[in-house]
Amino acid sequence: MSWDKVGREDKLLSWKDVMEAEEYVYTVGYAGEEFFKGLKEGKIIGSKCPKCGKTYVPATLYCEDCFVETSTVEVKGRAYLDSFTIIYKDSEGNKLESPQVIGLVRFENAKGGLLAFIEGEPKLGGEVEVIAYDVPLKVRVK
Amino acid sequence: MKTNLFYRRVAVIGAGLTLFKRRIVETPREMSWVAARKALDEAGLELKDIDCVVIGSAPDAFDGVHMKGEYLAHGSGGVRKMVSRVFVGGATGVMVPISAWYHVASGLCQSVLAVAEEKMSPARPHPQSVFRYIWDPITEKPLNPNLIWIFAMEMHRYMYVNKVKKEDIALVSVKNKRNAINNPYAQAPANITVDDVLKSEVLVWPVNLLDVSPVSDGAAAMVITSEDIARRYTDTPVWIEGVGWTLDNTEWTGRELAYPRYLEHAARMAYKMAGIERPNKELDVIEPYDPFDYKELHHIEGLMVAKRGEAVKMLKEGVFDMDGDIPSSPSGGLLGVGNPIAAAGLMKAISIYWQLKGTAGKMQVKKPVHTGLAQAWGDLMQASTVVVMRN
Repeated sequence: MSWDKVGREDKLLSWKDVMEAEEYVYTVGYAGEEFFKGLKEGKIIGSKCPKCGKTYVPATLYCEDCFVETSTVEVKGRAYLDSFTIIYKDSEGNKLESPQVIGLVRFENAKGGLLAFIEGEPKLGGEVEVIAYDVPLKVRVK
Repeated sequence: MKTNLFYRRVAVIGAGLTLFKRRIVETPREMSWVAARKALDEAGLELKDIDCVVIGSAPDAFDGVHMKGEYLAHGSGGVRKMVSRVFVGGATGVMVPISAWYHVASGLCQSVLAVAEEKMSPARPHPQSVFRYIWDPITEKPLNPNLIWIFAMEMHRYMYVNKVKKEDIALVSVKNKRNAINNPYAQAPANITVDDVLKSEVLVWPVNLLDVSPVSDGAAAMVITSEDIARRYTDTPVWIEGVGWTLDNTEWTGRELAYPRYLEHAARMAYKMAGIERPNKELDVIEPYDPFDYKELHHIEGLMVAKRGEAVKMLKEGVFDMDGDIPSSPSGGLLGVGNPIAAAGLMKAISIYWQLKGTAGKMQVKKPVHTGLAQAWGDLMQASTVVVMRN
């Protein structure tokens, strides 16, 4: 904490500080651990509801509709581009060397989706293949 | 408060808790789901039977997720349902069943899933840092106070005004940690002595380490329904018969610290609704909020279960023991079970619900119980919430 003494009006009337906690440590949870382990093995891990049969991606511990525990499954459906956008500047406002394409990748017969960096000429609904299993994913348009 | 309203009867028919732990693996959503699922199972309901979801959680900054109510809605069964989040600091936990109560009592809903969650472990170096900006920015913040400072001042004032000794206050910690041995969800059960409390590390005089509840992660949930639904699913509903809540001003420096006046107001509101005239005679079991050991005594006086300054005398006589006249914190309270803020308050209400249902297991108090009370307290020592239940 420091007293800010710039300007007559501000004298002892304002102060600067950092906000609250210094850092956060998040856990990914049980389902999240399965998902991340899957990425390391080059797999997309989702979860299947034993009651309604829906598959969620990424994996969740429970089915949001039936509210029962799910089991993990590998998602093997065709991956496609649900939507995309093109970014020209970074969050500080500096122009990127080359525009970055970010997309929402979904999988056939699965609920949910994953964010991904897109390579190639993007097309809505177009099939993509995963080239790097990471967060976010890296995919190439087929 | 004078009301001329017709309330529908409101029952509790199910409850669930997660383990209370220092650092839990589950995400906040997963924790909410674990508690909510257990509550639904106990009630015999499925998510499709639930009209509306009430979520309680203290500052977003604990879990490190802003819009925490919206975030938690997923694990609380709130997806595509009527969801609201209540927040009155530490008093949130008991505000959750109160809010669920008015959803049902008003006739708006038939069945409510009430969920409280707190994950205290993500913020570093310590969750206490989350409280850095609750102070007056000009007169208080420059001192860099933390909550234990002001509670230490409150405790000191309570000790001075009522001529209470520290070793007497320590008896609360001894009692609650002992009660927690019977609680399968507890984080800090222990058989300790007054000496252990007095010899534990001094944090901020007169508060020692064992005077304070531990930091925890945890979630709690309750299923609260109309009389129709309750009668259909259970033969032993527990009724919410009185609710009360009060907020005092944020200028804690302007208040008499030795007595929680705002709690008296909240308690009077709940007693009036429940038709209680002599709380010390009519309440069979109580769960006053005990993040610090002196707070339990402070609150017992605010609840008018003891006269001002006489809670200690009753404590020493054993009135508040498991086999006493008015068992207090039979769950083990925050001191014994842990303090994931909102979840801890709801845990207290769940404890009373289980006591009245007769399913508290080893936590069950010796005497037969008919009327119980749970209470929570929070914000800048200014908010209190009270719920009275009967079987």
